[in-house]
Amino acid sequence: MSDHHVTSADIPVNGEHLDPAKVSKLKTICLAIMALGTLASYVVFLMGNNPSFQKIAGIYSYSWVFAVFFFFTLSIGGCFWTLLHNVTNSGWGTSVRRIFENLGSTLPWMLIFAAPLALPQVQHYLFEWMNEHRAAVGPSREEALHHTNHLLANKYFYMNIPFWYGRFFFYFVGLGAVIIGMRKLSTDQDKDDAPGTWRLFKARFHSTYTFIIFAITITFAGFDWLMGQDYTWFSTMWGVYLFAGSALNSMAVIILTAVWLKNNGYLKNVVSEEHFHVKGKLLFAFTIFWAYVSFSQYFLIWYANVTEETKYFLIRNTGGWNTGMICLVFGHFVIPFVALLQSRWKRNWNILAWISIYTLVMHVLDHYLITIPERGISLGNIEPTVFGKIQPTIPGAFVGDIIAFVTVGAGFLFFYLRAMGQHALYPHRDPRILESANISN
Amino acid sequence: MSTTRKRVYGYLAEFKSASALYKAAEKVRDAGFRKWDCYSPYPIHGLDKAMGMKRSILPWFVFFGGITGTCTAFTLAYSTQVVIYPTVVQAKPANIFTVPAFFPIMFELTILFSGFTVLFGLLALMKLPRLNHPLFASRQFHRATDDGFFIAVEARDAKFSPEGTRSFLENIGGASIELVEEEES
Repeated sequence: MSDHHVTSADIPVNGEHLDPAKVSKLKTICLAIMALGTLASYVVFLMGNNPSFQKIAGIYSYSWVFAVFFFFTLSIGGCFWTLLHNVTNSGWGTSVRRIFENLGSTLPWMLIFAAPLALPQVQHYLFEWMNEHRAAVGPSREEALHHTNHLLANKYFYMNIPFWYGRFFFYFVGLGAVIIGMRKLSTDQDKDDAPGTWRLFKARFHSTYTFIIFAITITFAGFDWLMGQDYTWFSTMWGVYLFAGSALNSMAVIILTAVWLKNNGYLKNVVSEEHFHVKGKLLFAFTIFWAYVSFSQYFLIWYANVTEETKYFLIRNTGGWNTGMICLVFGHFVIPFVALLQSRWKRNWNILAWISIYTLVMHVLDHYLITIPERGISLGNIEPTVFGKIQPTIPGAFVGDIIAFVTVGAGFLFFYLRAMGQHALYPHRDPRILESANISN
Repeated sequence: MSTTRKRVYGYLAEFKSASALYKAAEKVRDAGFRKWDCYSPYPIHGLDKAMGMKRSILPWFVFFGGITGTCTAFTLAYSTQVVIYPTVVQAKPANIFTVPAFFPIMFELTILFSGFTVLFGLLALMKLPRLNHPLFASRQFHRATDDGFFIAVEARDAKFSPEGTRSFLENIGGASIELVEEEES
């Protein structure tokens, strides 16, 4: 129980707003890094056909898809929490709902960073199946593939280039429209003198079927951008696995944002240790969920022993990558599991912030192991004349990973801070704000 | 021919509302009483804090109970499947790398042992099951399941005194204060 019962007198009439001076410097730095990095990356990708750029473009394509998907999961997690909050009619999180919405609102902007994936120069290195599709000439592509690659002919209904482009843009347009609409409903309430409850009911109604759009986006984006790097591999757990990591780590970002705002003197009356306790519980739940799903995937593939499926784990359990995979078992599950068992640690937001940072670091490792081990294998296969023989790791390629990660990360942070500065930090005219401020669990 | 002796259990005081009970609990806590309890028809948020309750030791029991479960499962699966009678299924190894196959069992036994530790640890800490409670001798006490809010201070508390505690309970707003005696044959 909070020491002080929050009443409407404690909620400012016009809400709390982020002081622009506090973040302007950080925003400028982020914008500069993003602009420079993205421009340079675009140049590298567009010059990908040039023989002297070929090697860099090939290696950097994988760095880029790693960075883009990492931050894409965080944005999409923001959408997930917004929709879940609306659809479950939750009262507890009203005071932190705006953080969910701001995090989700970065999603449409991720198209800037994902756009290179639509370039044939990048696809040439990332998606082997597209090369076969482009090379297949005949009365119809599907027919032609029957003679060259039967697996691709079988998967043609899903894996074909026009459909791929359609899905690619749908991820941003579809879910982008959903999250922008949800956020607009919520922010409009801030300016309404007689807010009432109709926006809450509307948001609840429209959050139901849009969950399907969310599920399609996270699942098929994972299929297209990550699983598609090796078209022979397939796992039905893949979408769930990515979703688990996405929900877990977007919650970590939400916790970090709330702690940062609180340490800067915002959200003083409306967010208490009770909110951090709830969020810590969600972090705990999704840590277990991630472990459950990723183990299920591993276990099913391990037992079934189907050659195409075990390939994924064979690459990642060979040599140095195996150390990373074992690190994931302990670092992504055992350690945070034991740490988050403590209710005291969940209630202390500074400790919870450290656990969140740790979780995010583990998410980086997780996504690094999803994307990067494929690089040496694929590049040597797709372009043996340029990259030489197949090798598990390409020396020096990690530099590109860092550059890509910093670039996309700066962009993500810029759009996140920008969204935070646009509106009040919490929905101060929401009828449930007092219920949320006084929760106890 | 009644030869029953009676032993004083303690004072039972009634309070008007949940908030009165909450405020009284804070005062009893501040007065330094140790052996006392609140009775309410429904859970009151934060009452444990107002009563100055310490953190339960139960989580630690459960933690070690869970670890015991994990180790039991691993030992059980490993000794039967690898040491005593190795079976080759689908060319899977029978050595330490078989461990993924043991994970579900390890998980299940962790949960089972934790669950049992919660149940039996809780019963032990609450001294349950018991057949009777001295407070049942009070005529008004049955209202604790309906509309009554009570505080009972036990006589075995070091700070207990027949007059002092009674006036203390009166001062903090207790009504219909009753000396509860338990029967001893």
